[in-house]
Amino acid sequence: MEVPDVKQSWPNSINEVTIGATKEGGGTRSHAITVGGTRTLPFLYFEGNIPHRPVIAMEVWDIAPTDWPEELGKYFSDVWDDPGKWAKKCVDEFEADFICLRLQGCDPDGENKGSHEAAQAVERVLKSVAVPLIIWGCGNDEKDNEIFPACSQTAAGERCLLGTITEDNYKTLVALCKADKHKLIAESPVDINIAKQVNVLATDIGLAPEDIVIYPSTGALGYGMEYVYSIMERGRIAGLSGDKMWAMPLLADIGREVWKVKEAIAPEEEVPGWGDHIQRGPLWETITGLVYLQAGTDIFIMWHPKAVKELKKYIDSLMKKNSRKN
Amino acid sequence: MIFVGERINGGFKDIQRAVKEKNKSTIQRWAKIQSEAGADYLDVNIGAASNKVDDFIWMIEAVQEAVETPVSIDSNKPAFVEKAIKACKNPPIINSTTADKEKLDQIIPLVVEHNASLIGLCMDRKGSPQDVNRRVELGATIFSEAIEKGLPEDRIFLDPVTMPLKFLQPQARNLIEAVHQFTLLSSPPPHIILGLSNISSKAKEMRLINRIFLVMCIEAGVDAAICDVTDKDLVNSAITAEVILNKHIYSDLFIKAYQAAKKP
Amino acid sequence: MALTGLQIYKLLPKTNCGDCNLPTCMAFAMQVAAKKVSLDQCPHVSEEAKAQLAEASAPPMKLVSIGSDENKLEIGQETVLFRHKEKFYHPTGVAILVEDALANDELDKEINSINRLKFTRVGEEIGINLVALQHKSTSAEDYAKLAEKITEKTSFPLILVCQNLSIIKSALEAIADKRPLIYSANRENFDKMASLAKQYNCPLAVSVESQEELVDLTQSIKKIGVDDLVLNPGIKKTGDTLENLTKLRRLAVEKVFRPLGYPTIVFTNEEDPFQEVIQASTYVCKYANIVVVKAKDTWQLLPLLTVRQNIYTDPQVPNAVEPKLYEIGAVTPDSPVIVTTNFSLTYFTVESEVGNSKVPTYISVVETEGMGVLNAYAGDKWSAEKIAKTLEQQKVREKVNHNTIIIPGLVAVFRAELIDEFGWNILVGPEEAARIPSFLKNEWKPAGKK
Repeated sequence: MEVPDVKQSWPNSINEVTIGATKEGGGTRSHAITVGGTRTLPFLYFEGNIPHRPVIAMEVWDIAPTDWPEELGKYFSDVWDDPGKWAKKCVDEFEADFICLRLQGCDPDGENKGSHEAAQAVERVLKSVAVPLIIWGCGNDEKDNEIFPACSQTAAGERCLLGTITEDNYKTLVALCKADKHKLIAESPVDINIAKQVNVLATDIGLAPEDIVIYPSTGALGYGMEYVYSIMERGRIAGLSGDKMWAMPLLADIGREVWKVKEAIAPEEEVPGWGDHIQRGPLWETITGLVYLQAGTDIFIMWHPKAVKELKKYIDSLMKKNSRKN
Repeated sequence: MIFVGERINGGFKDIQRAVKEKNKSTIQRWAKIQSEAGADYLDVNIGAASNKVDDFIWMIEAVQEAVETPVSIDSNKPAFVEKAIKACKNPPIINSTTADKEKLDQIIPLVVEHNASLIGLCMDRKGSPQDVNRRVELGATIFSEAIEKGLPEDRIFLDPVTMPLKFLQPQARNLIEAVHQFTLLSSPPPHIILGLSNISSKAKEMRLINRIFLVMCIEAGVDAAICDVTDKDLVNSAITAEVILNKHIYSDLFIKAYQAAKKP
Repeated sequence: MALTGLQIYKLLPKTNCGDCNLPTCMAFAMQVAAKKVSLDQCPHVSEEAKAQLAEASAPPMKLVSIGSDENKLEIGQETVLFRHKEKFYHPTGVAILVEDALANDELDKEINSINRLKFTRVGEEIGINLVALQHKSTSAEDYAKLAEKITEKTSFPLILVCQNLSIIKSALEAIADKRPLIYSANRENFDKMASLAKQYNCPLAVSVESQEELVDLTQSIKKIGVDDLVLNPGIKKTGDTLENLTKLRRLAVEKVFRPLGYPTIVFTNEEDPFQEVIQASTYVCKYANIVVVKAKDTWQLLPLLTVRQNIYTDPQVPNAVEPKLYEIGAVTPDSPVIVTTNFSLTYFTVESEVGNSKVPTYISVVETEGMGVLNAYAGDKWSAEKIAKTLEQQKVREKVNHNTIIIPGLVAVFRAELIDEFGWNILVGPEEAARIPSFLKNEWKPAGKK
């Protein structure tokens, strides 16, 4: 009996976004990373091309964290006084594909560092590692608009990925991206319609769709993950079906979300039914990552070295020959 | 929504004159205007301007010189269609055939051979359909014949034959019900197209009738229309109807989003 | 899944005889599709055509039941490829693999670890569903004894993993009334295995490498009279299994291809304890109806079962609890009062931390339409005014002697206005629920008696 063909033909590809510039491109990175370009659902090689592998950035801060769990501190406390050293350890020892510098120190409710110091942190990381860079603000719109010009300038030509723009705050960063030739992370609060709207607004004032990565917020496993998962699936299908305002690569900010949940942190003595937390924590982060990977995520920001290693192994096992190595 | 621009039609005085005088610029101006307004295809109909096939080819070539938008070959003369289809740069739509077997036998192989699409009018030599069942039967016949002869489903458009509201008011409802039933024909359902302006022929409130009828038909299953693409209210109504039916992800600037998606 | 007009037309004689009172068979087919006439109106339609039409209205994927009592597991009867299109109906069954070559005390140890694999999350019990007993080296008699022992010492239905007919028969003689899943029929043994399944009324797994063979086998087995089937597309690398599972699901629900309209079962083959959970989680997300794992540690099963819990949540049902005053522990008029939203996740997280603190506490839940603390604030679903109103409605004033309310740290901004609205002291609690126990033990102090 003949078995029907279930191969779907998708009218549209997801955009390719390239982060990092080598000397030819006007930067000082050793290589660039390209994500996206797929014309099928995640890992369904039988129906379309998957040219680029998903990538993992490890996160470093511009200040030393004061409340990270010991399970993480034990890897980084020797370097986290200097974002450059921290980034170098992530790349050299833990094989991060690239780095995300979070300007946590600029948070006005925290140390409230200024744009000069922020730019210095950017420079230190750029000098310490040759991998591409994500620069993520402190999350306060006013402050970020204040510090980003200097950071963007410092990194001009390096084709960094800057984060984030939102529905209510996008003009400053879009202007910086156009001027200094960076890419942008477009953020929305677990809302598929707002995610689309942010892209419409940004492209309307001149940002190219190929300069956008979609970040629909991230929920850790057990903490709202399925809401984001379904937004990613639905949006990715729309992008492949022709919706150009949803045809962008996806980003998941995993480390930050996972390492505040009890299941990742609580020691076994506290919750005996949950088993060894030294394994449980990194596994919680890896599993959160893999579920988002199956929904189409292209860029992961992660904290724990073991989680990074295991997710990478998993990605390796799924990628096939028609992918180009970054 | 697939929009087919209706303006390059010998029924319009300026087009008629342009054909007679071999003045490309009028044709090309309308080609550009309609393309910029978002037309996915440009209907080309020589009307009463001439009965020479070479003039028809001339029109098509003028359009293709000005824009990349593919053409809808609007003629029921097999000789015209045969020549025109060869002159097309991009795969065209053939507008149209009826459900008569001889016509289908003649035209479908041509459409298949040239990778074109076909509009099937739900009528035959017995005349225009007067009720729901006849439309559905004729549409189903055209569809199944086309599939049998190797035309892929997504290149078949069924046209339930739009009639003027002013003269044949009950037919509007019959058409809408027939469209509902067309969607039961196959899974996924076939393309369904309207010759929209016919609904408001000779009426006063032409634009109002056009856009409300189109929206009602979109809900029933219509996904293509030959119409005035420069009528912004019409185009926006169609886009809005499709968003309401969850065919596109909503965003506050959904009209802008739809137009941005069309940019090459 | 109804047949389309064209599919119905194919079942008709195509003579256009007019006996149905319609001009052509095509017209008749469309009327049947539109449910305006019944297929019976054609006096010439074959019995087979009638059967096909009847079958067409059956669900695209079979529902298969394993086990026989309140612990039975139902799998299958799915209708979509993506949870956002509708929902996933029957959560993936998780089975723990146990090998038969175990000494008695080892078996008891295994059973103890397996019985520990249950957790409570967000007010819901989550746990494994099945035990898969893999035959490696024991005799038929011993295998059957093992199977029996497992059913006595655990509450889980069994999967009998063995392709040897006499061993399966022996096990079925012992525990058929518990309706274990027989894994499996293959190219060589399918007719006899299917007869056993029929005789003992047990569901049957079918395991072959190629899709075409699977199609042949299911149809042959169905003819023998067994239709409670579970499909195994072979044991392969994750990526290949992912593709196979996707194809099977599409064939079942999109093409309504009946020969493959059954639930699926897959086995993990990753040895590393991390990678095995990763592999199993993939299959839970993507179309496996049963996943068999070797993992037995709680730290491995907790995330796997949480993935299942999350993915199988009904996207259309708001995750909200009833807005009322909850009592956690033996509350007294001196007990603290914590305010929170009615988003399930928020409520159960707070409740769990309050439980951990061992401080009896009132939790006042405000109606925020299932939104969490920050989302409700951003979406204007709660305010100082609404909190005050809720506290009044819940008669909090009469429940406690102190006059202090604790609000979530993330909405400290409500404090001043709430003091005005409600007239009591407002203590700003921690931003993270994990800090509730230390907060209640060290910082909670009633600000003053009434």
